Amino acid sequence: MTTKTSAATPTAPTKMPTTADKQLLDFALSAELSVHDLYLKAIDSGMLSADEKTMMEMFSDHHKAYAQSLNGLLGKAASNTRNEALYSTYARQLTSAQAMSRVLQSVENTMVATHTDILSSLEGLDGATLVASIITVEARHAAVFGTLPNSNLGSALNSAASSLAPNAAPAATTTETTVAP
Amino acid sequence: MNDFNNLTRRELLKISGLSIAGITFLASCGAQSGIVESANVASAGTVPPTTALSQVVISDTVLLRTAASLEYNAIDTYTKVIDGDLLTGDYASLKDAVKRFRDDHISHAAAINALVVGYGGKAHGCANTRVNNLYVDPALKLITADGNADAARDVVALAHALENLATQTYQGIVALLTEPRLRGSAMRVGQDEARHAVVLAQVLNPGYSAVGPTTDEATGKAKVASVPSAFGALAVIQVSLGIANSEGVKTNLSMETPSLNGLVYDEISC
Repeated sequence: MTTKTSAATPTAPTKMPTTADKQLLDFALSAELSVHDLYLKAIDSGMLSADEKTMMEMFSDHHKAYAQSLNGLLGKAASNTRNEALYSTYARQLTSAQAMSRVLQSVENTMVATHTDILSSLEGLDGATLVASIITVEARHAAVFGTLPNSNLGSALNSAASSLAPNAAPAATTTETTVAP
Repeated sequence: MNDFNNLTRRELLKISGLSIAGITFLASCGAQSGIVESANVASAGTVPPTTALSQVVISDTVLLRTAASLEYNAIDTYTKVIDGDLLTGDYASLKDAVKRFRDDHISHAAAINALVVGYGGKAHGCANTRVNNLYVDPALKLITADGNADAARDVVALAHALENLATQTYQGIVALLTEPRLRGSAMRVGQDEARHAVVLAQVLNPGYSAVGPTTDEATGKAKVASVPSAFGALAVIQVSLGIANSEGVKTNLSMETPSLNGLVYDEISC
């Protein structure tokens, strides 16, 4: 069997991020730094159980790894500053252990929507594959908050979060209705 | 003076023997009279005729049709689980979740096929044959074998593996899709499969300590994790199913996302 890529698009997609990609990836980087700091605020609050704290430390490390990977991809184009609007909006809601789980799940859902939105505009494959690998795990983070401490199927699977991405193209229209973008 | 005059009888016999062996070897390597030369590699027996496969194109619609086919693998599997009443005992409470997962996959299939049609392709409305033949059918055979006391748990393990397979498929095609908007659409569905996997992972290995990767101290194998790694992996998915052997080991199935021989090309239909 011989194979070839699509005849309709003879030129292969670009690998490295374009200038427009870099702006979107830098936004993603700033958002990841904010989420990392939100987890640190929750961890340092003294209101979490040992199990919750261990789990959130892991999630915090994941977001740090995302920021570092995006930073590596962007190089000198990386601003490396957190998104203050995102941080302050959610930080003031971290008032109890229960609130932290709810708020951080909302943050994770927002990140999934934001990254998915950004992915729909990225031309470079390096950025696209990195963002895709982040989306699946952030969706897992959000679902974990829906299953622990008590399993709530709707909370684990449903998301009404909106994207924060600036000027990103929406994903191609689908008829899929069970998952909010 | 000729050196041959100085050869002993023993040396002369040795040279003659080597000469005969060399000539025989060279003759066996050369073409033989009366034998028709074949382009095939020398082999014993009859070589069956071969048919060249047509050239196929891996287009965006082929990748999406493949993703749609995996949705039908999941739909069909969950339907068999529901209709066969395979969730029993402690796992009977999962029936509502399984119905929700099946409904989600039906929605996903419709969404992906709508994209296929929108991009000029033909919707694909059935399961991936290769995934069925290699993974789903053997797994269900192991699960439903007489005497399998862990059938209900195995069903959950299979569902977890299939959800991870779907997640990896969507993540994997992002690197192959040429249209950026389609990459976003693929991951809108892919992230949903990941959520399904988490719910099932928490059934198989519940609690906070099971969220991250852990290892079974007795077997040294990785336990089921809700969040197995920091980044979405594209790796072989292992699942152990069926009746354990005398050493307590179940049959291990290794699943991989569809490759070139598992894609649903344009000429493939249900």
